[in-house]
Amino acid sequence: MEHPILFISVILDWIGLPVPHGPIGTTFLEKLCEPYLTYSWLVMAFLFVVPKLTLGKLELIPGTGQNFWEVLIGGILDFFAEHMGRKQARMLFPILATFFLYTLLANMIGLLPGFMSPTSSLNITIAMTIIVWVMHHVLGFRYHGWKYYKHFTGPILLMAPFMIILELIGNFARLVSLSMRLFGNILAKEILLGVLFMLAGAFFAPLPILALGVLVSLIQAVVFVLLAVVYCVGAMEHAH
Amino acid sequence: MAEEERGILTELARYGQIGTTFAASIFIGFGIGWWLDNKLFAGKTTPWFSFIFLGFGIAAGFKHLWDLSKKISDD
Repeated sequence: MEHPILFISVILDWIGLPVPHGPIGTTFLEKLCEPYLTYSWLVMAFLFVVPKLTLGKLELIPGTGQNFWEVLIGGILDFFAEHMGRKQARMLFPILATFFLYTLLANMIGLLPGFMSPTSSLNITIAMTIIVWVMHHVLGFRYHGWKYYKHFTGPILLMAPFMIILELIGNFARLVSLSMRLFGNILAKEILLGVLFMLAGAFFAPLPILALGVLVSLIQAVVFVLLAVVYCVGAMEHAH
Repeated sequence: MAEEERGILTELARYGQIGTTFAASIFIGFGIGWWLDNKLFAGKTTPWFSFIFLGFGIAAGFKHLWDLSKKISDD
């Protein structure tokens, strides 16, 4: 949508699959061939294949590939442990680290010509946000039982119906703001790059934005995961 | 959690979210009111639920700010 040429769409078109011309297709097959979906699968395939290739067999004396992944995974785990404690960090590590790696790669991939960021589609970000949102409520229920719902009513009994409405609105606002922030930042980056490339691509006009894009991609990935951590910690430690 | 361990990114995540959460809660409040007015009661109560729930949305936005400031002063 933002970039002039998306190579996966070109390949799919060449094979004979119906690639939608707008952002959203009409038939089921067109929906499957939407660029953000195919690029999301590309990112997933990358995250499956590249660790498999670089890691190989785990060895006692790590080689280059194993060193890289050990540092990365260890760093992420320490980062989570700082915020939520070692035990909870180990429990939530698989889902949160997956979110981090996927979001980071999905943000970054849009910087290459011929690729787009899957996270510049609201469908992808809202899907991730719904998972995080449901997860933190499930965690709250698991840690506190029915008492978890009691904190929605606030301290004063008379104010309870009022407070329930406020908490409900606040909770849905979380859902909207978390998905909209990631989507908005990445879409802005994509559109800016596309426009600058079309206007003055021959004079390297997009270069500074490319450099900023790396920063934005990293920060947005970290912030998304960090907010998921903050919500989970808040749900787990609510002891009113 | 020690204060210095938290780092600048946590602060960024916390405070960067204030603006969007505030706006989102106002829009969601108004959206619920609009839905009640125009879909559930089919326009009979037209401006009232929208306004009341707009107020709820604004209150929810301020409550988020209040909770956040309380959490910061607790740390």
